[in-house]
Amino acid sequence: MNAPAAPQSEDELAALIDKAVSDRAPLSIVGGRTRGSIGGRGNGAPLSTRALTGITLYEPAEMVISARAGTPLAEIESALATKGQMLPFEPMDHRALLGTTGTPTIGAIAAGNISGPRRVSIGAARDHLIGVRLVNGYGDIIKSGGRVMKNVTGLDLVKLSAGAFGTLGVLTEVTFKVLPRPETAMTLSLDGLSAQNAVSAMAEALATPFEISAAAHVSANASAPSLTFLRLEGFSESCTYRAERLSKHLDNFGTLRLLEIDEGTALWQRIRDAEDFAGSDFATVLRVHVAPSKAGAIVDIAHANKASIMLDWGGGLIWLGLAQGADASETIQRISEAGGHPMIVKSAVVTLPVLTPASPAIAALARKVKHAFDPHGIFNPGLLAGHI
Amino acid sequence: MQTRFSPEQLADSHTRESEKILRSCVHCGFCTATCPTYLLEGDERDSPRGRIYLIKDMLENDKPANTEVVTHIDRCLSCLSCMTTCPSGVHYMHLVDHARAHIEKTYKRPWHDRLIRSMLAAILPYPNRFRLALTLGRLGRPFAPLLAALPGGDRLKAMLSLIPKGGLPQTSSDEPAAIQSSRQVAILGGCAQSVLDPEINAATNRLLARFGIGVVFSPGEGCCGALVHHMGQEDNALGFARRNIDAWWPLIENGLDAIIITASGCGTTIKDYGFMLRDDPSYAQKASRVSALSKDITEYLDTLDLPAAEPKSMVVAYHSACSMQHGQQIKDQPKRLLKNAGFTVRDVPEGHICCGSAGTYNILQPDFATRLRERKIKNIMRTTPDIIAAGNIGCMTQIAQGTDIPILHTALLLDWAYGGPEPTAIRSLS
Amino acid sequence: MSAIAFPAPDNTIIVRRDEIIAGLARLVEPECLVTGDDEMRPFETDALTAYRRMPLAVVLPRSTQEVSAVLRYCHDAGVNVIPRGAGTSLAGGAIPQEDAVVIGISKLNKVLDFNIANRTITVEAGITNLAVSAAVAPEGFFYAPDPSSQLACTIGGNIGMNSGGAHCLKYGVTSNNVLGVKVVLIDGTIIDLGGDAMDVPGLNLLGLMIGSEGQLGIVTEAILRIIPTAEGARPVLFGFDSSEDAGACVAAIIAAGIVPVAMEFMDKPAIEICEAFAKAGYPLDVEAMLIIEVEGSEAEIDASLARIVAIARQHGVRVVKESKSAIETAQIWKGRKSAFGATGRVADYICMDGTIPTGQLPYVLKRMSEIVAGYGLRVANVFHAGDGNLHPLILFNANDPTEQAKAESAGNDILKLCVEVGGCLTGEHGVGIEKRDLMGVQFNAADLNQQLRVRAAFDADWRLNPAKVFPLEGRTS
Repeated sequence: MNAPAAPQSEDELAALIDKAVSDRAPLSIVGGRTRGSIGGRGNGAPLSTRALTGITLYEPAEMVISARAGTPLAEIESALATKGQMLPFEPMDHRALLGTTGTPTIGAIAAGNISGPRRVSIGAARDHLIGVRLVNGYGDIIKSGGRVMKNVTGLDLVKLSAGAFGTLGVLTEVTFKVLPRPETAMTLSLDGLSAQNAVSAMAEALATPFEISAAAHVSANASAPSLTFLRLEGFSESCTYRAERLSKHLDNFGTLRLLEIDEGTALWQRIRDAEDFAGSDFATVLRVHVAPSKAGAIVDIAHANKASIMLDWGGGLIWLGLAQGADASETIQRISEAGGHPMIVKSAVVTLPVLTPASPAIAALARKVKHAFDPHGIFNPGLLAGHI
Repeated sequence: MQTRFSPEQLADSHTRESEKILRSCVHCGFCTATCPTYLLEGDERDSPRGRIYLIKDMLENDKPANTEVVTHIDRCLSCLSCMTTCPSGVHYMHLVDHARAHIEKTYKRPWHDRLIRSMLAAILPYPNRFRLALTLGRLGRPFAPLLAALPGGDRLKAMLSLIPKGGLPQTSSDEPAAIQSSRQVAILGGCAQSVLDPEINAATNRLLARFGIGVVFSPGEGCCGALVHHMGQEDNALGFARRNIDAWWPLIENGLDAIIITASGCGTTIKDYGFMLRDDPSYAQKASRVSALSKDITEYLDTLDLPAAEPKSMVVAYHSACSMQHGQQIKDQPKRLLKNAGFTVRDVPEGHICCGSAGTYNILQPDFATRLRERKIKNIMRTTPDIIAAGNIGCMTQIAQGTDIPILHTALLLDWAYGGPEPTAIRSLS
Repeated sequence: MSAIAFPAPDNTIIVRRDEIIAGLARLVEPECLVTGDDEMRPFETDALTAYRRMPLAVVLPRSTQEVSAVLRYCHDAGVNVIPRGAGTSLAGGAIPQEDAVVIGISKLNKVLDFNIANRTITVEAGITNLAVSAAVAPEGFFYAPDPSSQLACTIGGNIGMNSGGAHCLKYGVTSNNVLGVKVVLIDGTIIDLGGDAMDVPGLNLLGLMIGSEGQLGIVTEAILRIIPTAEGARPVLFGFDSSEDAGACVAAIIAAGIVPVAMEFMDKPAIEICEAFAKAGYPLDVEAMLIIEVEGSEAEIDASLARIVAIARQHGVRVVKESKSAIETAQIWKGRKSAFGATGRVADYICMDGTIPTGQLPYVLKRMSEIVAGYGLRVANVFHAGDGNLHPLILFNANDPTEQAKAESAGNDILKLCVEVGGCLTGEHGVGIEKRDLMGVQFNAADLNQQLRVRAAFDADWRLNPAKVFPLEGRTS
């Protein structure tokens, strides 16, 4: 692949897009190139934001940070750490799962709405994105939102951009709401639950006032029993108190076992990054967004197709790993019929669509919205296929 | 909010008062949420804010009332829930009273509407006529299905259904001899309640005597005027008010601790005499004095510091009449008294919403009244009560139509708890 | 007189009024169609009463299908449509016009489904915000966004304005608490955006719909995220001798890594007004007050409050008063949430809604007093200090046209100041008609054109809520 164009400034980027528009030359927007084809497989000349770097604003007392889109995520996280803060939504790192190298960027977090285990309690990347600058398919530099967390001025193009995978424009700068890093975290485990029982246990835990920050279930395999994890975060006295109350509340599911802090930290990173699905054992890896009440049906479909599973978000996110030879296409169809929203994260079969198509009425509307940003279809053709 | 009244319009005392009320409204809409008719209909015209706006338009432009406006004002229960909710202190009661008087002056109702209203106004405030009407009405009950077919017949049917099923009740005991005390009160005899449930005042009398309060009688008093006042018959209402003031005045001059009212619907009106007669130089001062002396029985008892009574294993759902909680803002006193008297008291969910009785509303608006009653009874049942307590005869009659659970006046329960006779309804429970 | 212009009504529509009413009458029950001049009067404005216009007709549908039929009819007949919830907009979002049909969703007020396993409730959009919390309270949940008008305002209206409230510091605003909506588009098409799952893949039209002020469609149902109610919650009142001290205290609390559920600010005039109504025990001898609420078990609350009180002491707090009972807590919040209405007891007001970076609080508070005083008016300040969302209430006499003009000018100056310091025109009330002409202060032409093109993707003919949000000039797309 050619070395992608990497403009040094927003103006330079806008000029480049202007040219692409007049040439009707599609662009494939890339950041750190760590996330493979999670939004779909694009075709266009690569355009990288990696030269647009730097934190442009960080006000710890206002819990807000702005950075140019190509800023490495690590740079953001270390800046936040010095002030005891964090990106609350715990963005997933795709490198282990996809075997990619490179540096994840903050822009891709926004464009892909990349969230992790804490999503179930505190919201997604999208919920914390409060401002964007982008260059649209007219070559115009556009801003929406800003640096304050309550802002309803005009149409919310910020939320629209989050998860649009660069199909509407090239993000040049993003602003996130951040939160104080919890003083401590406590991970509790329920051992040996079936996936179905785990969904019930997690639902019960999440319905208590004890502020579960994450709830996941790692399924049994040949070498290990299934484990269901609950995480508490906050001041340590408070975590201890809540863990006690939670133990009583869930005693009909078994005994809650407390993990060592380091063990917990490693565990949640493993869940966040879906590390169990890395490697060549799985020809296809899916993530399924689903209402927890329907998670049981998805688990049944997975089992019927001999897929490995892992549940996050209290059952609201199900990871499926299908071995070589399993019928991925049929599995995807059945998941959709059961009310799940499957998305291919990794697949050996490149002909499979990454997303199941939206309904015709919604797709028609989404295409009009896309057209409103990108009338000539310059940005990321092929991404969000079936949706725009 | 902004108003547009001319100086000439503002020369009128009623209009001046209404203008002041309208100016304080900021149109925030909070009142819509606690209005019973808006809850049922989801239509702003049937909400306080909508009605305020309809009234504003009618008054500002000196328009005679028309059928549409009258429909929505008539649907107002005057429960005054909106006044409890309103953060801006809009005096909706005085505004809607003004609107009703304006309607009465400028709008000609259909003949059957006029007929039933004059019938109600001619009978209800007068105990002897009311007693006779009830006796005749019982004879008429078999004809209810026929009546329902007439114009406005649903109202006649509703009226017949309100007639108590057995014979008219008698008091259980003779009234105690008046005792001599430094604290003397008068008890409003009133009108309909004295016919429907004379035991309420008898129990009140016993209860007060037991705690050393002297009760004096005031011959000549009667209906407080609320019934006709809510129909917009202002002159008629003021007539009742003046008559009662005349009846009480000699007692007041002799030194009266309070005028005790056992029907909160009447209490709200009597407490408003001062405002109603503000422009009458010969009555204004007396009226204010009467209003100031008027106390609901529970409001008065609450000041007496009654001893705690033996606990009873009996769950009481306390139904707070709108005239009690909204009209007079009496909320905790009745519950406090009942608890202190040994009852287990439960609040009725959605307790701020009217039961649909609202004076003659259940006769004039049977559809809304029935829906509200059903809603109320459903909420009462959620407390799984043994008995229901209330402080207003209208609510008691209304709720009794939809449930077999006994409904008793708070004063009866208190009288029993402090040594009075066991109420018949409770005797039949066990 | 009123400074904000309405587009000239389309006379070709007005002359067809009888025909249009007849067309609508075929679609809904008679009691759901309001056409008499007197009867339509209550729909001529919302909570921005300075502006009033009579509608062509008002429809109050009973189902999504009826909303769809009415929209399709209006679309085909070329008639403008004004969506209306409970009419509590402070920005004039529901004010109609002579050539437009109001579609009110207040009859759509049912709970459709309550799913504890998913922690969601599905409701019709005309249900009030507080009724949602009331419906889930017996099971120990609540719906988090809590605008002050929550007693009366509808979920549909909340979605239209992306409403916030006092407690969104911790729980987020409407867009963070809605999983899916059913929307009727201008041509009557019914679509479901989002769903019962979190972050349904695809273009985030749900996020776009929230806060779109009835410009893109009419929401008739919503799937809402509900949250377990904390074991306990306790507010503390802090009284300060200056607004600056109070502002510095807020910043210090956040800097210390504490995010309370709510941090509310009131200045002296606001304290006096609210205390007179709610009798909440607010300190009357201070210049500024904070209401800070924390949640959890008794022990957790004690521990959090101890930390917060210690910080407040470093910032010169003079009065510290913790709530001692549930009743006291309810009174404290009643006072705060009734602030706007209670202000009606002393004067007419317009309520601004700009947001500023919290670091700018002391400067902006000072400048705001100067601005309002410059017009010879008074201001009472009530706002969400934790997130910088200001609600200055500019007091004036609505029966004096010159005072109204001055109040509006002062409001505009304040909003410009908010943008100038890095904030925005509106934090939670929406642009509506009130701030429409100030959009150019916050956005340049390219920004606005992009929004207009997105708007056109939904409603190319400008039928939906046409006089709102976007300046009248420059609507070329």
